Amino acid sequence: MVEFQDVSLKFGGNRLFDSLSFNLPRGGRLIIQGASGTGKTTLLRMMLGFVLPDKGRILIVGQELNLDNVWEIRQKMAYVSQEMQIGRGRVETFVREIFNYKKNRGISYRRERLLELLEDFQLSEDTIHKKLEDLSGGELQRVAIIVTLLLDREIYLLDEVTSALDQPLKELIVSYFTGLREKTLIISSHDKIWHQQDFSTLNLDKHGSST
Amino acid sequence: MAAFGLLLIPLGLSLAVRLGIFRQLLVSAGRMTGQLFLMSIVLLYLFRWDNPWLNVSWVILMIFFACFSAMVNSQLSFGRFFFPVFMAYFIGAGMILLFFNGIIVNYDNMFTARLMVVVGGMLLGNSLNSTIIGISHFYESIKKDNKRYLYLLSLGASQNEALLPFFRDSMLAALKPFMANMATMGLVSLPGMMTGQILGGADPQTAIRYQIVIVLAIFTAVTVSVALSVYFTSRRAFNEYGILKQDLFRN
Repeated sequence: MVEFQDVSLKFGGNRLFDSLSFNLPRGGRLIIQGASGTGKTTLLRMMLGFVLPDKGRILIVGQELNLDNVWEIRQKMAYVSQEMQIGRGRVETFVREIFNYKKNRGISYRRERLLELLEDFQLSEDTIHKKLEDLSGGELQRVAIIVTLLLDREIYLLDEVTSALDQPLKELIVSYFTGLREKTLIISSHDKIWHQQDFSTLNLDKHGSST
Repeated sequence: MAAFGLLLIPLGLSLAVRLGIFRQLLVSAGRMTGQLFLMSIVLLYLFRWDNPWLNVSWVILMIFFACFSAMVNSQLSFGRFFFPVFMAYFIGAGMILLFFNGIIVNYDNMFTARLMVVVGGMLLGNSLNSTIIGISHFYESIKKDNKRYLYLLSLGASQNEALLPFFRDSMLAALKPFMANMATMGLVSLPGMMTGQILGGADPQTAIRYQIVIVLAIFTAVTVSVALSVYFTSRRAFNEYGILKQDLFRN
């Protein structure tokens, strides 16, 4: 599902990745470990074509990521990172705008599904009428996750999504995602709770060589 | 000369509490005096010759200076932004200027110096600040809120769809202070142009009518200039993967 073949990337004189290779099958779970600055976020962004490798190939769902297919391949993935501003205005208006994107017109917006997910993530129903700028960090993080779940993508890239949340919320999010059996998960996190799961591990501390 | 005497107060204060702007203040006041003095000579000849081609060229030169000043005051790269911003100004302010001269004032010769040079200067001078705010806000917020932009792309947005919320925010940043200013105009402040006209002997009603028209024209010029600047620059500012290029900012 997600495959790196001899991927190398330099960043500001440092060699971030040197011939990195791995292959994660459909439904696979991978946790990326490493101290800050070892390139966890960069690695996730490479999968989305936001950062391009200097050498090597990245294959998503069997296709090599390139200029012709990058915009299509992004449709297979959902990307959520920590503490981000996602927009302004009412939650439901925001969600409708996302569903109005040309590429998403094939997916129909169902309000019941949104309400269901809000409940799953312990957010009250009236959240859909609240403004994004009035939500707390933890609420916003969950809304950002919920939007990606509404789009029902195949691959979930979660960049430190639980770092700023309290313990019960961390547990909630971890158990929700581990319960999604058919989805491919790639997680970068310092949280112990992810490491207690039965995931494969990619340790960037051992891999990276700063020269 | 008595007016320059007023400067003794800020200069004295600068020395007393060490504001450290003594030299800078003298230079700025000197530049203002020199530039306006020069301008009075230029205007004298522009009015005397009153050649439409010369007037239009002068406006283009002013647009050039306006862009130059806009770029100096932002953190954006000259090479990448100068031409698109120039075109945006040229079309934005130029269009409004022609509309103002040709349709609102409806004077026989819309290219006469009295309209072209003077109104052109008003439009450009007053739209400059808001335009800088708008363009800078657009690129700086994409850089700062990079995660939000990437998140929207990952949710299936095309480049333009992902840029739309940033465009909205930067339009608001450019126009809101201007709207607040409009709302208090006359109560809190009397605009300089109007004051000048009244001091020059025009009756207040005429001065006010011109003032209203010019404020509306400036507002529209800002809207068009910011929108076009963002549109023209955004086509060169992103690579084919939709990612903001690295060399857009001066460091």
